[in-house]
Amino acid sequence: MVKFLKPNKAVIVLQGRYAGRKAVIIRSFDEGTRDRPYGHCLVAGIAKYPKKVIRKDSAKKTAKKSRVKAFVKLVNYSHIMPTRYTLDVDLKDVVTLDTLQSRDKKVTAAKEVKARLEDRFKTGKNRWFFTKLRF
Amino acid sequence: MVAVKKTKKTHESINNRLALVMKSGKYTLGYKTVLRTLRSSKAKLIIISNNCPPLRKSEIEYYAMLAKVGVHHFNGNNVDLGTACGKYYRVSCLSIIDPGDSDIIKTLPGEQ
Repeated sequence: MVKFLKPNKAVIVLQGRYAGRKAVIIRSFDEGTRDRPYGHCLVAGIAKYPKKVIRKDSAKKTAKKSRVKAFVKLVNYSHIMPTRYTLDVDLKDVVTLDTLQSRDKKVTAAKEVKARLEDRFKTGKNRWFFTKLRF
Repeated sequence: MVAVKKTKKTHESINNRLALVMKSGKYTLGYKTVLRTLRSSKAKLIIISNNCPPLRKSEIEYYAMLAKVGVHHFNGNNVDLGTACGKYYRVSCLSIIDPGDSDIIKTLPGEQ
């Protein structure tokens, strides 16, 4: 009886090109819109996970291994699996509905999401979110 | 051993309560609608049959844990649960949205 598909919830995308990738809900549309008459949400996720950084890596190698590729997508609720984890990065101002209207707006939004996610990865918090889901 | 053995009397009372919900309350039957009611936080109680596939059972339990909704494992398979709902088809999982006159919400999650 508690609504759990809220912003900052970590989810796993189940269908599509990004199946198996972890994402975070930025904005949820429970009632749907005219174009999408079903419950869906705007998510930002990791397209390419950062590699495992070990202690004997040089600074250059660490920088190369900590790179993240991000994606932004509108997903149906039935195509995501919610988890008990949350990820509070502030992406509301970067990713909005109109960033998905054109290709270059989407690319710039994804680049900004990539920068923020890389910062979060380097602090070492939310380690679960940045590990690849094995299946 | 006492906890595992469900007496016949409580099993019949669950059936009676379910029949009352079917008559006077709101419910949905089936996996897809159960997940939908859990996502929209409309579900009050979930009932799963005992031969529900374990992956599906854990998935419904996980959603119910996130939504803080009680889950009851029905002492019978999907055929029995369908019969308990008064339907002529198999029901593997069902979600009670509004119990109507029944007290199934108050009595069941306490014992689960």
